[in-house]
Amino acid sequence: MNNYQLTIKVDDKQVVLERILQVTRYRGFLIHGIHAEVNTGTQLGTVVLQVHSERPISLLIDQINKLIDIKEVKVDNDVTAQIVG
Amino acid sequence: MENATLPQTVTYTGASLLFEVLQQHGVEHVFGYPGGAIMPIYDALYDSDVNHFLCRHEQGAAFSAIGYARAAGKVGVCFATSGPGATNLITGLADALADSIPIVAITGQVPTGAMGSDAFQEIDVFGLSLACTKHSFQVSDVNDLPNVLHQAFAIALEGRQGPVLVDIPKDIQLAQIETTLEDFSRLTNKVKLPPANVGSAIALLSSAKKPILYVGGGVGMANAVDELRAFADTTGMPSVSTLKGLGAINPDDEHYLGMLGMHGTKAANLAVQECDLLVAVGARFDDRVTGKLNEFAPNAKVIHFDIDTAEINKRRAAHASILGDLKVNLPALEIPLSIEDWQSQCLAMKHDFAWRYDHPGENIFAPAVLKEISDRMPDKTCVTTDVGQHQMWAAQHMQFQDPSDFLTSGGMGTMGFGLPAAIGAQVSRPYDCIVAVTGDGSFMMNVQELSTIKRFQLPVKIVVIDNAKLGMVRQWQDLFFNGRLSETDLSDNPDFVMLASAFDIKAKQISKKSEVTDAIEEMLDHDGPYLLQVKIDAKENVWPLVPPETANDKMMESTHE
Ligand SMILES: Cc1ncc(C[n+]2csc(CCOP(=O)(O)OP(=O)(O)O)c2C)c(N)n1
Repeated sequence: MNNYQLTIKVDDKQVVLERILQVTRYRGFLIHGIHAEVNTGTQLGTVVLQVHSERPISLLIDQINKLIDIKEVKVDNDVTAQIVG
Repeated sequence: MENATLPQTVTYTGASLLFEVLQQHGVEHVFGYPGGAIMPIYDALYDSDVNHFLCRHEQGAAFSAIGYARAAGKVGVCFATSGPGATNLITGLADALADSIPIVAITGQVPTGAMGSDAFQEIDVFGLSLACTKHSFQVSDVNDLPNVLHQAFAIALEGRQGPVLVDIPKDIQLAQIETTLEDFSRLTNKVKLPPANVGSAIALLSSAKKPILYVGGGVGMANAVDELRAFADTTGMPSVSTLKGLGAINPDDEHYLGMLGMHGTKAANLAVQECDLLVAVGARFDDRVTGKLNEFAPNAKVIHFDIDTAEINKRRAAHASILGDLKVNLPALEIPLSIEDWQSQCLAMKHDFAWRYDHPGENIFAPAVLKEISDRMPDKTCVTTDVGQHQMWAAQHMQFQDPSDFLTSGGMGTMGFGLPAAIGAQVSRPYDCIVAVTGDGSFMMNVQELSTIKRFQLPVKIVVIDNAKLGMVRQWQDLFFNGRLSETDLSDNPDFVMLASAFDIKAKQISKKSEVTDAIEEMLDHDGPYLLQVKIDAKENVWPLVPPETANDKMMESTHE
């Protein structure tokens, strides 16, 4: 099991948080922490997710990036180095 | 005021505005079913120039929208009411998501004030949509409606295509909005793809001794059939196709080896297993294609062309990935190769393992019937299928000139797809011959759509391959579950000829080889809709078959000689 922290910048639209949670679960990542600032009335929301999985995090990043209202996804810890590419 | 440059402000209701926007997007035909929460939209439809096709189940409407989209290369549109209407659409949305089909589904919703109160026919369709659409919207202010609808069309079409749902509460449909409707704001494609890695791909390609071109559904969706064929011609690469890729490669291309995967041709699967370079174009290494993944094309390096970043390295690592528009990227790699030995090895396999249509006895051999229909059907015929053995036989034994001529539920494998998809295809291509190849199980799943055929006098030709079984499941029970035939018998199906006649559809049943040619001619010559019931032996299997979790070169083959 690898632990990862993702920082996701979103276009602050309806249910963007729900979309991220759905994709994360469906793609096989377990959420063990979350901090979200959404529906702020500004254009920008931020979601910080701590997840773990045996799957490479690049898989989840790609899928979250595909959601329409996502501006940027960053992995905060360098566990990614071993799995990307 | 005469000045045409000054936009006129017009007052619309949400419902009437919907039709204005549909027309702005070139929508001529929609498929749907009315109900309480979508009544204002149906009321506005009454005054609209948009043609509405009343289907007899919302699932039929969704599949017809998919068939329309796939056969015409346009966005398909369907309508449903809230609650059960919306849930009936869900299977269609899932199908469109799995096969990347651009449709826009409009659902009515209970009024905003009643939402969240477990109101009559209220379901959280927005919540349901998260798992089965590319994107979805719920409109909470009528002033957002124009932009939401424009975005729905843009999202359905851009990048990797897919279904979009717009849920519109009844009060929003009735609310008034003053707008010029000039603002046709298109989304800019937010995904900025990095420049394609052409250099390393060219190096891989030019050093390959045994390359294979692995063609998927993305080619048709990218409208890149010509570019793909030019690429195949110039490189001379032997090619294989997925179920959804069929029609992209010219079926007469001498280096084309047919479909790969679970029911692929022996030549295609053996060539892929032996190749040293796999050039995947708009294909996603689906489990039905790869068989046991870590034994799939074990010696091959991979060049992966796709529009969807998330497909790269998802199931198989790529040595070079080429992201973006195939129309641009394929020509960049179009170089001649000298692979004569490999070409002749593949040609020999193609020859040695060619399909055989000799078959003992008087009973009809389904592969031969489908081949004969394929040989006799007019150019530009569009074939739809349902799911099961007949689907695999159609994929194996019929030939298509373009991916838009073969509509089958690939990713989702949804029984009930064939008949309504054929209706959508016929609406979008009124002058082309449309043939629905179905099974006696699948046909019954959306059989109510015979009413839609009758109402609009659509000349769809329906070929029911009737084995009185859920054939594909029966085949697996025989092969992998010790012949314990659990719940796969359909010998009490209704009389399909009588059933068709109840919908004023001409029909005929055949059961002997000697009847096949005349029946096919009669069907194809008939002006209106026609149902041909082809009785076959319940024990026929689809061959070859790569058993689950097995490498593709270890296929099981037909035993009868
Ligand atoms: C909606 C749905 N339910 C169940 C299945 C599982 N399934 C796959 S093939 C098949 C049998 C199909 O029977 P039929 O339409 O008669 O075609 P045949 O295999 O006999 O040609 C079934 C039940 C499915 N694909 N789709």
